Amino acid sequence: MIGPSTKRSSQTQFAAQGEPMVWLSGGMFAIACLMILSLLAFVLWQGLSTLWPRNYSIYGRTDGSLIAGELYSKEVVDGLSKLYLRTGNYDVSNQHFAYVSGAELIDDQPWSDPDLWALERREWGNLYGFPKALSWTNCEPGQFAKEVSVGMLETARIDQQLAQAKDELKRADQGISKARLGVRRVELAQKIDLQSAIDSGVVDGLDPRAKAAVEHLAECTRRAEEMMIGINQRIGELEQKRSERSILLELPIAQELGTIPLDWAELSNGKLSDPEALAKLLGVEFGGQAPQIRASSMGQDQYLCKIGFAEQPFRRILVRRAEGTNCVISGLQEHSILLADVVRFFEPNGLGLLGRFGVYASRWWEFLTGAPREAGMEGGFFPAIWGTVVMTILMSMAVMPFGVLAALYMREYARSGWLLSAIRISINNLAGVPSIVYGVFGLSFFCYIVGGYIDGGPVKAGFEPWPSAVWFSALAVLSVVGLAAFAVSVLSGQAEARRSGFRSTLRWAGGLLWLATLMGIAWLLIRSPHFQGFYQAQLPTPTFGKGCLLWAALTLALLTLPVVIVATEEALSAVPNSLREGSYACGAGKWQTIHRIVLPYARPGIITGFILAMARGAGEVAPMMLVGAIPLATELPLDTEFPFLHGSRSFMHLGFQIYSLGFQSQNSEAAKPMVFTATLLLLAIVTLLNQTAIWLRARLRKRFQTSQF
Amino acid sequence: MNRLKAIADGQTFESVIHEEVLSRDPVVSIRDFSLFYNRKQALYNITMPIVKGMVTALVGPSGCGKSTLLRSVNRMNDLIETVRIEGDMLLNGESIFAPSVDVIQLRKRMGMVFQKPNPFPMSIFENVVYPLRIDGERDKTILMQVCEQSLRGAALWEEVKDRLNESGLSLSGGQQQRLCIARAIASDPEVLLLDEPCSALDPIATGKIEDLIDRLRGEYSILIVTHNMQQASRISDHTAFMYLGRLVEMAETSTIFTRPTLSETEDYVTGRFG
Repeated sequence: MIGPSTKRSSQTQFAAQGEPMVWLSGGMFAIACLMILSLLAFVLWQGLSTLWPRNYSIYGRTDGSLIAGELYSKEVVDGLSKLYLRTGNYDVSNQHFAYVSGAELIDDQPWSDPDLWALERREWGNLYGFPKALSWTNCEPGQFAKEVSVGMLETARIDQQLAQAKDELKRADQGISKARLGVRRVELAQKIDLQSAIDSGVVDGLDPRAKAAVEHLAECTRRAEEMMIGINQRIGELEQKRSERSILLELPIAQELGTIPLDWAELSNGKLSDPEALAKLLGVEFGGQAPQIRASSMGQDQYLCKIGFAEQPFRRILVRRAEGTNCVISGLQEHSILLADVVRFFEPNGLGLLGRFGVYASRWWEFLTGAPREAGMEGGFFPAIWGTVVMTILMSMAVMPFGVLAALYMREYARSGWLLSAIRISINNLAGVPSIVYGVFGLSFFCYIVGGYIDGGPVKAGFEPWPSAVWFSALAVLSVVGLAAFAVSVLSGQAEARRSGFRSTLRWAGGLLWLATLMGIAWLLIRSPHFQGFYQAQLPTPTFGKGCLLWAALTLALLTLPVVIVATEEALSAVPNSLREGSYACGAGKWQTIHRIVLPYARPGIITGFILAMARGAGEVAPMMLVGAIPLATELPLDTEFPFLHGSRSFMHLGFQIYSLGFQSQNSEAAKPMVFTATLLLLAIVTLLNQTAIWLRARLRKRFQTSQF
Repeated sequence: MNRLKAIADGQTFESVIHEEVLSRDPVVSIRDFSLFYNRKQALYNITMPIVKGMVTALVGPSGCGKSTLLRSVNRMNDLIETVRIEGDMLLNGESIFAPSVDVIQLRKRMGMVFQKPNPFPMSIFENVVYPLRIDGERDKTILMQVCEQSLRGAALWEEVKDRLNESGLSLSGGQQQRLCIARAIASDPEVLLLDEPCSALDPIATGKIEDLIDRLRGEYSILIVTHNMQQASRISDHTAFMYLGRLVEMAETSTIFTRPTLSETEDYVTGRFG
């Protein structure tokens, strides 16, 4: 019978159509999308808003003091508001951030004074205050901004000269260190002590090499000393010049001066009932003229006044009504900073939208291209960006040939069997090993053993060298084994149709002999009595025997190796066998087939592996902590100084920077906003690197692919 | 049917090869050739000639070893690790399976076309000159000349001469197969091995390939495996009927299809079994 079966219950109908699964899977998909989107939105919002210039508001407290800051958040708990303020002025108030309860405030409507300046400094974070006077000029307050801008250009020139002078100093120093290394090398080579010769300057009786080295050192030292006198003098002059100019500001911190009777009603109209008493209290000369005054109400019973007696500069006072006609007068704390310390200044409350964008762009520019200030809490991330990119590229360069060749051997050459399966499973498992494990391995193997070996030979790497005679006899034995391995593998070579058990045994023997040879070479290397390391003269300061760029890149290469191998193997196994057969039938050899047919076909898949490896490697932090990333590096790992790529330098890394800023800095609360910006940047860099690789893959694909594939 | 039953039971069996085939000059002569996959024997003591300048068709039911035999001629079976062989084949008098033979040089003397078109993921031009490329030929004029000759030989030149730099995969199935034939004849092979070249093609493309084989007759010696009796009767000069790894009967195609010696052959070619 054809037609709907009457036996089917509604439940089986339901199951047959699978409606619940559509909802379930669709719902899960929606939740996953939502999570990713909200993560992105959160990071974007937090990261982008950190550098936006905000209003700096001043609040009056009921106890008569002031609290001021950029309002970061405001929450209301049980009808009571709680404000989270970024106060700045760390060198005076000892805090970057403050929580203020609404109950403490006279009015939680803030006063945003348009005259207030925000000054970003090289040290101590931002300073907020009212500019009062400039030490180098007697101009009107209206001219302050222009004068400071011009002055900053001049100090920038001084700073540049200072940097140059310091650079020269450094170079002179380096010259001496180099000469000293030369002497140390001679000492090590000839097993003599030249210290007395250096001290006395007497070089008679030494052999020519030692003599030359000691004389060179003396010459370098003499020349450097001569030079240093001049340079140090110049530096002193420049420092002097640098400290000449300062800016005097009034900070929004109230200091009570005293109580005088004042007519409150008149004050609110901008007049003083008793200017003489006030002048006396403030300690200024009252010229008999009524002072200029501008009063801004800060909530009930409190005024912030800008007041200028005749012939006197303006200053600000806080007037608070007490009992009767009495008013409590408070002055604002004065503070002076060096003009040369100012990186950027603006009027946070007086800026228009365009001005705000200007400050925002300038901050981003510094963030992306500048060096860090304040231990990385302020300023630029360029060294970290550069370190991350250089390390990731170096890592990719290390992992790709390794991974691709290993996968090629496993898929194209190795004969399948239990050994290969076991190795394949192990590699897959390696991909799941926690990354910190790789960090520990990298530290103990690369940094201490390999790095120590490079620095100071087997002894430094922790191995006892053999006596010379034993070592040379071992070398002889190893040469024989190596020759045997070569001979056996030549004999067992070539694919054969008539296979025999003998050839198979031979093949195994050849493999084992090669393995023995390789292990023997490694063993001889670590037991050599004739190798003292390449950087012995620098010891005990390690060159490669510590965390550095090279070891970080290699550790990450090891970490991403399974990813590359697995992806490459998959790409290779996706190459249709018919293509291989077609190539063989044309008379192509194995390598010709791999090189001309298999690899081009598998290339997009291999590049996918490369992308995955890079994405994993660029964001990895845990191993970085152990093998070379540091919170503040003065030198870049890749720069214009010969030999350009400095594998032995420690470097800054964005991921590590996020960790150390957010959780390791002295004031992690203040660094939090920067953490988000750094996170955004890391995401952007990883995406950028990936996009580049994806674009590359698409280009390669286009070359020969059609819908047939 | 009793002979077929005898074969199935594993009894020894004498192939019938007609004198009209044996009297001709062979390009490949297969001598007592057996092949094993691990323990399992796939070909049993096959002895047969492939005549120079003619088309020889291998027919037989699925799994009878036609393709295995064809792939043994250019030693493609070497690629399978478990294969073991006995006996030998001669290509123009030289042994194919002697230990001293260089397999790569051997394969260069033969062309092969597979069941499914397998153009390489490169341009049409590069596809055709691939055998020369792997020999290191770089001279553009020679490559171009060979490319044109081969494509003309494969009756594809007129269709693709304006787009030689396009991907070989942009062609239709039938064109792809003719491209593969062009590639196979680019190195001027002594034997052309066709492994069911039309099984993945539509009737029109099949017709074109058959015309092509007809044109190549005389110039090349062709060994073709086919499932299609009509095709075998249309294009081949000689036909060999195989069954369960044995050669049953081999003769001129007209003889096989009209008056074969064995009744089993007649049953097969007329479609009464298989």
